[in-house]
Amino acid sequence: MQSRLFEQFILRRMAQERARTLTTVVGIALGIAVVLAIQLTNASSVRGFETALASVAGRTSIEIVGTGGIDEMRLPDLGWLRAFGTMSPVIEGEMAIVGGGQAAPGPGAPTPSTRAGAGFRAPRTEAVKVLGVDILQDLTVRDYLGVEVETPQQFLELLTSPRAIVITEKLARRRGYALGDELPLMAGDRVNTFVVRGLLKDEGPAKVMDGSFVLMDIAAAQLAFDRLGRVDRLDVQLRGDGRAAGEATANAPGSAEIDAALAAISARLPAGLTAQRPSRRGEQVERMLAAFHLNLTALSWVALVVGLFLVYNTVTISVIARREEIGMLRALGVTRRQVLGLFLGEAAVLGLAGTLLGIGLGRVLADAAVGLTRSTVSTLYIATAASTPALAGWHVGLAFAIGVPLSLLAASLPSLEASRVPPTAAMRGSDRLASRVRLRAAALVAPALVLLVALALARLGPVDGRPLFGYAASLATIIGASLLVPAFIHVLARSLAGPLRRLLGVEGLLAHANLAAAIPRLSISVAALAVSLSMMVAVAVMIGSFRDTVAYWVGQTLQADLFIGPGLQPTVGSEQTLSAPVIAAVETHPGVDAVDSFRNIDLVYNGNLVVLGAGNFALVLSHGSLLFKAPADGREALRRAIGTESVVVSEAFANKYGTRPGDTLTLQTPQGARPFAVAAVYYDYAVDRGVIVMDRGTFRRYFGDLTPSGLAAYLKPGFEPERVRSEILSGLDEGHRAFIYTNRDLRAEVLRIFDSTFAITYALEIIAIVVAMLGVAATLLTLVLERQRDLSMLRLIGAARRQVRRVIVIEAALIGAASQAIGLVVGLALSVLLVYVINVQSFGWTIQFRVPVTFLAQVSIAVVVATAVAGIYPARRATALVVGQDE
Amino acid sequence: MRPGAGGCAQGRRRQLVVVLVLALSTILSAADWREAAAGYRFAFPHDHASHPDYKIEWWYYTGNVETSAGRRFGYQVTFFRVGVVAAPENPSRWAVRDLHMAHLAVSDPEGARYRFDEKLTRGGPGLSGAATDRYRVWNEDWSASLDDQGRHVIRAASDRAGVDLVLSEGKAPAINGIDGISQKGAQAGNASHYYSLTRMPTRGVVTIDGERFEVSGESWMDHEFGTSFLEREQQGWDWLSLQLSDGRELMLYQLRRSDGTRDPRSSGTLVDTAGRTTHLSAADFTLAPTGQTFRAPSGATYPIGWTIAVAGLGLDLRISTPMENQELFTRGAGIAYWEGLVDVAGTSRGARLTGRGYLEMTGYKGSLGRVMTQ
Repeated sequence: MQSRLFEQFILRRMAQERARTLTTVVGIALGIAVVLAIQLTNASSVRGFETALASVAGRTSIEIVGTGGIDEMRLPDLGWLRAFGTMSPVIEGEMAIVGGGQAAPGPGAPTPSTRAGAGFRAPRTEAVKVLGVDILQDLTVRDYLGVEVETPQQFLELLTSPRAIVITEKLARRRGYALGDELPLMAGDRVNTFVVRGLLKDEGPAKVMDGSFVLMDIAAAQLAFDRLGRVDRLDVQLRGDGRAAGEATANAPGSAEIDAALAAISARLPAGLTAQRPSRRGEQVERMLAAFHLNLTALSWVALVVGLFLVYNTVTISVIARREEIGMLRALGVTRRQVLGLFLGEAAVLGLAGTLLGIGLGRVLADAAVGLTRSTVSTLYIATAASTPALAGWHVGLAFAIGVPLSLLAASLPSLEASRVPPTAAMRGSDRLASRVRLRAAALVAPALVLLVALALARLGPVDGRPLFGYAASLATIIGASLLVPAFIHVLARSLAGPLRRLLGVEGLLAHANLAAAIPRLSISVAALAVSLSMMVAVAVMIGSFRDTVAYWVGQTLQADLFIGPGLQPTVGSEQTLSAPVIAAVETHPGVDAVDSFRNIDLVYNGNLVVLGAGNFALVLSHGSLLFKAPADGREALRRAIGTESVVVSEAFANKYGTRPGDTLTLQTPQGARPFAVAAVYYDYAVDRGVIVMDRGTFRRYFGDLTPSGLAAYLKPGFEPERVRSEILSGLDEGHRAFIYTNRDLRAEVLRIFDSTFAITYALEIIAIVVAMLGVAATLLTLVLERQRDLSMLRLIGAARRQVRRVIVIEAALIGAASQAIGLVVGLALSVLLVYVINVQSFGWTIQFRVPVTFLAQVSIAVVVATAVAGIYPARRATALVVGQDE
Repeated sequence: MRPGAGGCAQGRRRQLVVVLVLALSTILSAADWREAAAGYRFAFPHDHASHPDYKIEWWYYTGNVETSAGRRFGYQVTFFRVGVVAAPENPSRWAVRDLHMAHLAVSDPEGARYRFDEKLTRGGPGLSGAATDRYRVWNEDWSASLDDQGRHVIRAASDRAGVDLVLSEGKAPAINGIDGISQKGAQAGNASHYYSLTRMPTRGVVTIDGERFEVSGESWMDHEFGTSFLEREQQGWDWLSLQLSDGRELMLYQLRRSDGTRDPRSSGTLVDTAGRTTHLSAADFTLAPTGQTFRAPSGATYPIGWTIAVAGLGLDLRISTPMENQELFTRGAGIAYWEGLVDVAGTSRGARLTGRGYLEMTGYKGSLGRVMTQ
């Protein structure tokens, strides 16, 4: 009985109203797809890093790490580690293949980052992960047993030659290399020609990273990366079951054993060294990316929320339009519960169909999103050969878990309403909508309360470094504003009648009248569109303010004339340095007045990866310019920090860890934990994970190695930066490649990176707006269908088709205008939340609030035009129907 | 322990065989290394230390020891240094100049247990090495060195076997060969500088399968260095170090050619009770298998009974072992040799005498000469 009723009453109707059903399904699908796509995208960057990590770690169960690596002369004193298992020293990094290979890159090959950067950086054809291990000893730790070495001489070469490497068969195939071929690789600013002496089968590390993996002996790796005297870490493979390391031990040590060994090793390790599971580095990277990922996730939910508005919209319309029929059903003995079930069933069908479509669409969107975020992630965070991970079972599960229940939730209000329709409604033949149009003060209480809650939430601090309350405040703002929409439209309707008539004549008046009569159902569409528009406005204001701030900061702080960096950009886990010939070429150029060199290393602070930098404070004072946030006289604080156990920290660091000038930071140095006084906090918009900077003298005392990762050169008056740049570059030999930005180039590059970072943001918003537009079209379509009779009447009394169409299009544009008006107001409120709450809590940046008036004006016009366009199809339908009535 | 079982072990073995083959090869950059030449004058203790100018060098300890209750054990600890590149171009400390190998074996005839282990490493930042200023050779946590009282301290342990022994030098070092050189092949350079400490009072601990035994007894140390040793047609050798009950010691080695004949460079040294040495050339002695054989886990068949006759000295000795399986089959290097404790029984000019010693038999699984001269 019930299923029959469902088929007759719901499914048939859905089939009849194809357009509305379809737009709703597509709306949900887009929402689900965006959420899934962002999940996949977020996973891709971390997972790329983690799979690489895991495969390179091999059977390593514990690793020993130290800030800036481990001085290799400490190794003989760590012989006691052998009681736990084999210990394998490792050099790990990244190189880029220079030119070479004839074969076209495969489909999975990372694309070079092009655009403006190409002018300064040679196209980075392909980055490869490089692992340097003691190839005599390491074979049991990692799954490299597929190494094919053809002759004994090749193995001897591999063991003794600093130019011998093993590459993966995949890479060899892809780029057309064979044993004995030369392969030029760039590390830092040095290009060395290596010779392929072995091939790795597609096992272990060769399997992941699309084969972009190179193995070499640790001695060769030390030389190539300019890390003589240190190793990056020690990998420890715990003894499995008492058999010798040489035997294939199937019994890997259990988790408890690893924990026990970890505790025992940690207790005995000298100061400055840390024992951890290899997965720890993955967790650190995950945390580092968390804020970035959370923001994307939050944005992706906007599209979903808009999609759910559509469900609410559709079911509400369906309920309103069919009050009489519902009354009939009730009169015939259908229970309330059954009526509720019928409409929830409709929502379930919509949700189910939307989810199914969304899963397929999500995969496609994910590829696009990975493409959009890859350059951001690799520029700002980690170098990773990101490819979109496959949809896992849990992704499908997640899609259904959010798609269907949320659709039901969205439909629950109108469905409940439907179940309350009395049997008498059939007789009365009218709906109660008219009574709800009246504006009551009571209707303002709920939104006011919600907005107050939003205000309260905005004042709460972050949760575990995440602005969860900030997001909640945004959500509350959106909900509160949505609840205000009917009232707003009501006011708008009253005040607009006159102007519309004057401006658009009779069509304007008609459009206004139609809309005023349909306020309740319109409110939903307007709210949906307004929400997505407000998000766009908010983000536009935030990004605009942010961009202005960064541009100002860049202008103030980038004072040097030339910036010199290694050919390969450093990222986490891929340190890149400059070598002596390049430094000399810069320092000895007659036009160069002063050179500041800086070095950055990764430092684990409070379990998080931060950047520890070394700079020449004296030179910063004489030539450069830092913008200090605190104390008032930052320059004096910087002067006092020279040569002492003091650091300055970036604003992002200060916010994240609650650090103020005068505080003491305990940092892990190679000599163990040491206290450093915080002298000042400076503005920095380049690194969101936070930067600690110490004077080079202080850095050298604790960390030794000062091989610079970058230089800043100040020119003497009268020297043209562009010319000095090309003179320095042309003076370098074949084996060295530096990238030199002039001041102007670097400013442009900073803003380019900035803009590319937000490309995904805009993409997500456009999707949300498209979904909302679908909602407008669907609503108009419904209105058109309902007003069939009115429209026929219009034609009968002499209205031209063109006029009828015009009425509908004007209605659409009015909806757009109303939505945009609300969107602007709510968006500005949200932008305040974004700038002062969410941004500060997740990234910790000071952003000067600025409203991009021109941009917003342009967007507003675009929205009105776009909604008018969305009205064209319903308008056509309207005249088509009317014509049908005519004849 | 099935040979060839598991792709993992196999792959590793294959590679390390290659490494060893190359490391031992004499054609590669042999010119960079010094050859053993006649007229070498030993000076002690300095010559215990390393001689890095030569390509190949080893320190070899073997010994027969027993517990106070009379339970008998044999042990072998060997440190090899094999030069690969005399002057590496890479300044990294990890650059391979020498490869360091070490073998450790403990024999327990009563428990019928023979346990061994091996190491193959590079020097790196002092992880393995051989000092030149004083006697200290080490491979990770295995080491042999002189303590401040001039005693040899040997420490090596794995999961299966271990020794922690202190050895006095006993008699003065016996220089093997003629004029400071032990000729191994027809070519002048195919020789080594070779001396032995033939009866070293020993005390300490041996460990087997985790069981510790306090032991004492007598050890023998060989230290040999040179640049090229075997020639292509030399199949392997049989070597004996015997400590006789009359207070004398006898070292003999016989080089076998691939055609089955005895190489004329075979020789030996007899050390009398006062430590004076008598060189024995190939013509001075016979060393013949009794015909008793043992087929070892590696597949090689070893003659484990021998007779020795040194006509000029009136020595007639029979060599037997209480334990047949003392084959050191290095899975890593893929090279097998038999090295184990033996008993001596026989006569000296008619007078009965006994003794204990160590027997080493190489080249029964593939030609060692061909391997070393590839």
